[in-house]
Amino acid sequence: MMAKLGVYDLAVRYGKLTAISDLSLAVAEGERVFVSGPNGAGKSSLLSAIAGAVRAAHGRIEMDGEILSGLGAEAIARRGLSMVPEGRRIFPGLTVLENLSVGTGMRRDRSAVADDLETVFTAFPILRERARSAAGALSGGQQQMLAIARALMTNPKVMMVDEPSLGLAPKVVDEVYDRLCQLQALRGLTLVIVEQSSARAARVGGRMLLMRGGRIVADGDATEFAARDLLAEAYFGGAA
Amino acid sequence: MSLQLVFDALALGGIYAVAALGIALIFGVMRLVNFAHGQFIACAVFALIVPSTDALAVLGLGALPAPVLVPLILLIGAGLAVLAEALVFRPMRNASPVALMVGSFALGVALQNLLLALYGGRPKAVSLWAELGQPVQIASASVPLLQLIVIAAVAVILAGLALMLRKSRLGLEMRAAAEDFTMARMLGVRSNRVISGAFALSGGLAAVVALVLVAQTGVADVRMGGQIMLVAFIATVVGGMGSLSGAVAAGLGIGAASALLQAGLPADARPFRDAFLYGGVILVLLFRPQGLFAPVGAKPRV
Repeated sequence: MMAKLGVYDLAVRYGKLTAISDLSLAVAEGERVFVSGPNGAGKSSLLSAIAGAVRAAHGRIEMDGEILSGLGAEAIARRGLSMVPEGRRIFPGLTVLENLSVGTGMRRDRSAVADDLETVFTAFPILRERARSAAGALSGGQQQMLAIARALMTNPKVMMVDEPSLGLAPKVVDEVYDRLCQLQALRGLTLVIVEQSSARAARVGGRMLLMRGGRIVADGDATEFAARDLLAEAYFGGAA
Repeated sequence: MSLQLVFDALALGGIYAVAALGIALIFGVMRLVNFAHGQFIACAVFALIVPSTDALAVLGLGALPAPVLVPLILLIGAGLAVLAEALVFRPMRNASPVALMVGSFALGVALQNLLLALYGGRPKAVSLWAELGQPVQIASASVPLLQLIVIAAVAVILAGLALMLRKSRLGLEMRAAAEDFTMARMLGVRSNRVISGAFALSGGLAAVVALVLVAQTGVADVRMGGQIMLVAFIATVVGGMGSLSGAVAAGLGIGAASALLQAGLPADARPFRDAFLYGGVILVLLFRPQGLFAPVGAKPRV
């Protein structure tokens, strides 16, 4: 079966610094994949390269068999790959509703856009309540929800979320993941999520990749990761 | 304070505000200070007359009736700016802000030399809408009709631009791109469309300034955009780089302060009006180096 999202021999470099090398990865349609690993392992670089925000030094990225690598970020977004970046990067001076509208400009299905707005407002009622407020006035958790909702409004086939739990209270993280999984089921989304906590990934459930030094060093079910000590190995050196 | 002074201050401040907006719009989306803006203004001025190096100017487009002439000159200004973006700044899209700025200087010099080659270096008398110079009596003040038209036009332009930025799709995309360009692209916003849009608006605003300058001074001079470009640039800095409302407020403020100083300073000090004016600018920047209205979301894009 053809992978929904395929990465082949990817390398990302920032000047002389190598962030990712020889990385290959296949994600199936509807799959939920967690990417974990220590700081500097290349998790965010992987997502940024797939989204076209940074240019790959080498390798190929495909979605549904179509080559994405080399296209710009806007062209990749237009093909149905959406990104919730590290730090959320909402537009603080725009209202909540305007934030949600930025990504709908490329869509031609106007009635479906209205339905999608209703879907994200139902999933995150606080966004409906604050629709006319400046996004910069929202709390961290609300901004995370807005960032996810904004990505969904582009009607993506594949959505990537970079550290949704960063800086949020555990209870809020629970809520964010509940909604994310709910929306994934509803939309048949393929999800790639950067998540530091293997315990959290195991609880949510899905496949887990462990990155270290710009490579994938382990790949398996998230629940197995929590049991085995692969994480500690990756963080503290171990045999690898 | 006399009523006359209020009109002077509004007209001068308004035109500075429009010029400053032309700079701020492009800075907002591209983090580029377009130093060729003054030459955009000069090109729009010379578009009014037939190219020739003779001392006497012959009106070409400038002879058309105003309802045709004004939109046409606005289109020429917008078209020139869009063309400049496509030819000069698009190939430099990934260059550093400093390289872009140097590029804009180069473009300005090139345009100025093009005008020198086509029209010669001597200032030319151009009589555009001379009938607008006649005064209108408003209460105690005798105000040139042109000044009233300028004030009204500036008000319409500011309101229209604000509406366009708030309500239109392009306006939304421009505001999003101004806050975080890469994020806007990751949401499918086309950078070429947003940047061309900003340049078109900026070029149109340059043309407005050009028309007002010619109508007020009756002169076409290759150097005439430089002075107002400098004031406009200062206004965008004082207003807070990246803030459109800040640029408008500071443009109005500098124009008004200039008119007030002109009227209020003792006759001996009047030649040094600009020294007082820019002294005030330095004071403002000492206390608010980020400008008066620095936007929250506009970190420099590096």
